Amino acid sequence: MATIATAQVRPAGHIEVSNALAPYRGSLDRRSAAHLLRRAGFGGTSQEIARYASMSPGFAAETLTHFADTSALPPPPDVYDPRPALFALRGELRGGDSTAKRKARQSIRREMVRSILSLQNWWLGRMLATPAPLQEKMTFFLHGHFTTAAIQKGVWPAYVWQQNQLYRSSALGNLRDLTLAVSKDPAMLLYLDNALNNKTHPNENYARELMELFTLGHGNYTEEDVRQSARAFTGWSLNRKAGTFFDNRRIHDDGVKTFLGRTGNFDGTDIVNIIYQQAACPKFWAEKLLSEFVYGNPEPELIEQVAALIHRHDYTLAPVMSTLLQSNVFYSERAYRALVKSPVEYVVGTHKAFGLAAIVPGSLPALRAMGQVLFYPPNVAGWPGGAAWITSQTVISRQNFVAQLVNSKAMRQGASWIDGLPMDADTSSRALVAQILQSDVPAQAYSQLTGYLDGAGTSALGRLSPENAAERVRGAAYLTMAMPAYQLS
Amino acid sequence: MNRGRFLIGAFSGIAVVASTDHLFARALADAPLPGLPGGEDRVLVLLNLQGGNDGLNCIVPHGNAEYYRQRPTLAVPQSDVLAIDRQIGFNPTMRSMKALYDQGRVAVVQGVGYPNPDHSHFRSTEIWQTAAPATYEHTGWLGRYLDDANLPSNNLFNGIALAQVLPEALISNKVDVPAVAQLGGYGLISDRNRYARATYGELVRDNRFPFTSPYLAHIAEVEDDAQRGSEELPQLVAGYKTDAAYPATPLGRSLALAAQIVGSRTGTRVLYVQHGSYDTHVSQKGTQDRLLGELSDATKAFYDDLAAHGNDKRVLMMTFSEFGRRNAENGSNGTDHGEASPLVLLGGGVKGGVYGSYPDLTENDMGNLRFTTDFRSVYATVLERWLGRPSQKILAGAFPTIPVLG
Repeated sequence: MATIATAQVRPAGHIEVSNALAPYRGSLDRRSAAHLLRRAGFGGTSQEIARYASMSPGFAAETLTHFADTSALPPPPDVYDPRPALFALRGELRGGDSTAKRKARQSIRREMVRSILSLQNWWLGRMLATPAPLQEKMTFFLHGHFTTAAIQKGVWPAYVWQQNQLYRSSALGNLRDLTLAVSKDPAMLLYLDNALNNKTHPNENYARELMELFTLGHGNYTEEDVRQSARAFTGWSLNRKAGTFFDNRRIHDDGVKTFLGRTGNFDGTDIVNIIYQQAACPKFWAEKLLSEFVYGNPEPELIEQVAALIHRHDYTLAPVMSTLLQSNVFYSERAYRALVKSPVEYVVGTHKAFGLAAIVPGSLPALRAMGQVLFYPPNVAGWPGGAAWITSQTVISRQNFVAQLVNSKAMRQGASWIDGLPMDADTSSRALVAQILQSDVPAQAYSQLTGYLDGAGTSALGRLSPENAAERVRGAAYLTMAMPAYQLS
Repeated sequence: MNRGRFLIGAFSGIAVVASTDHLFARALADAPLPGLPGGEDRVLVLLNLQGGNDGLNCIVPHGNAEYYRQRPTLAVPQSDVLAIDRQIGFNPTMRSMKALYDQGRVAVVQGVGYPNPDHSHFRSTEIWQTAAPATYEHTGWLGRYLDDANLPSNNLFNGIALAQVLPEALISNKVDVPAVAQLGGYGLISDRNRYARATYGELVRDNRFPFTSPYLAHIAEVEDDAQRGSEELPQLVAGYKTDAAYPATPLGRSLALAAQIVGSRTGTRVLYVQHGSYDTHVSQKGTQDRLLGELSDATKAFYDDLAAHGNDKRVLMMTFSEFGRRNAENGSNGTDHGEASPLVLLGGGVKGGVYGSYPDLTENDMGNLRFTTDFRSVYATVLERWLGRPSQKILAGAFPTIPVLG
């Protein structure tokens, strides 16, 4: 037995760094189109894969980075506003009996949880149905990066929604602008406590994570920089009545700060600008983007190349992502299935693989069991990703999700192509493997699946037939998705 | 899962046949446990207090005026402290822990930390998990113990993390440690059908894929282990009965499962449990008091459960947190990331008391407590005096042990 010890592992083999970012000159096929859609979206339906397989790599990347019109998608659900109920608690319920107050508080909490659930469902549905998959993929990526957890610390559903929209509208925008907007975002101000950061005793939480996790990475600043930055961010708070950013000058430290070698009477805007002037910043983002969209633990030379690209475009993502998504390194064998699917990618992608039009009930609890609940990251670093997604517990949850999905009402009602497979076990197993895994399976897998479809090894069951097809094909689809390759993006 | 919405019975058209793979599990259950050099079948339960537990308000220096000066609103009033002596005492929410302390079952090690402390949650957690403050290691300190200990290689449960994500401490080169968040849901639905189960096993064990990926072998192995482990573990622990009253908290449930595993013939040497988040930048009192109360009550139930089954002398529990918190409170009724903090060792084999010296609140490191005991000394003690293995190779250095174990 041997196991992978690191969270991010670099693929084996040679890389030609000098032309890694040059446009890939090959043509796309179903395999590479499916790869592109897994990375730049949440996987593809059979039709979507066919459509992208007919494009050139450059045209495919441009199609993805120029977001299609999404106005036909369902609008977000109404978000619950707890303020009237909270004001009532402070107003007419004040001093009243404790049972009424407890009930009011429980009701507020229940409504907030319900509101977040409906946002989760809405977002999963949007990931599945959007004609602009990269927009949702970037929103999802930014949610894990500039992460915030709902409800705790007063991060109400309205703030969660506001932040989600910020990421969606900034999906391929400028990272410096986004970082500044995040620094003023109510959900973030509450989650990392800057709303309470005042000059008397600065709170370092946001100042530290801004550099460590959001922009520069560990080791590219000192403890003194954290303290000075915290001073600069004092007073960046929110108006709780209006639910908007509020620059509270009364508690702002107006003194001179020395931060990353610069001295001045800095505020939060200055801090963000100085951070984005650091050489470490484009490198940090280069490694992030490569690890998210190409492969983990990228070579320093490759990071340098992408950092130079980011610098050249002054942190604007659209041209950077377009270059990455049509590059040689993106279509290299090193990048192919070199990432582990996150639970959200796994769940939405499985819906896509079956061609389902709507998220099946039960998907949210299944995601929880796999370790990823939207708007509830485990901590400020977001989800750990990579090999950490795969443990005995989470693998069981993944397999069980598919076992239940194949028997969901939607699938039972014939919503998927799998019900149209022929009664020939060999043909059907090949079709399953081609559709679900682009035939990326060991040679023996075909005979295993064919044997399963035909009831091999059991005497009484009989070969694949219209009488048993519903069960057998579902079982075979499940088993195809149980193969290790299916966990990979 | 809303089972009503799913049609369960994925494979209902086929008779569900009882598994016969229990043979391995039964064989294991009947075999005597492999002994440690000390002749006892000892278990380490590592309890991670995630987020940086404020040691100053956990083991309170109530005899220290400087503490009260630096914490004008957050300090625990002297009269509330559950005094150990005239200098220190437990937070008032830790009554159950104090009761265990009074029975001589708890050791408090003071001022634990490491040189050049890191204030990042993630780096400092990594340092504690890998026992490597100055280098980046791919294996955890208990992973290296598992690699070194020659435990039966056919046992899937030499170490178990009661978590969804495998902590770095248990990452090893040779041993796959299962992560089990809870027993409910720890089983493959498809395994109810013997026919699907067999095909599943064949498919996940075959990793001769027509492409390479750095994760493929790992995933194949975990999928295979998950199938076998999720079938065996619930059976192995099924016979355990307890009257212990665990609090209805996630930690209570985790420790109940830990006691169940310890009390069953699983051959487990290392268990990992987590609790949190102790990252109290704002409104610390409410959060930390609740967490310490949960910790204390769940630990007491755990200890009582162990004792009722005669397992208390077999189990050592050790807490750890990535760092303590800043001496002075901040302006939002909380504390920022700090450095050294106390940890607790608990169990029937512990010589209760206070070990090490309390760090000086005035001679500090930019407002943080300087460590007086290297955490690797505590690890060396656990490895040598409890798990019975030499520590020098595992910890990449020689660290003096502490005379805290019998």
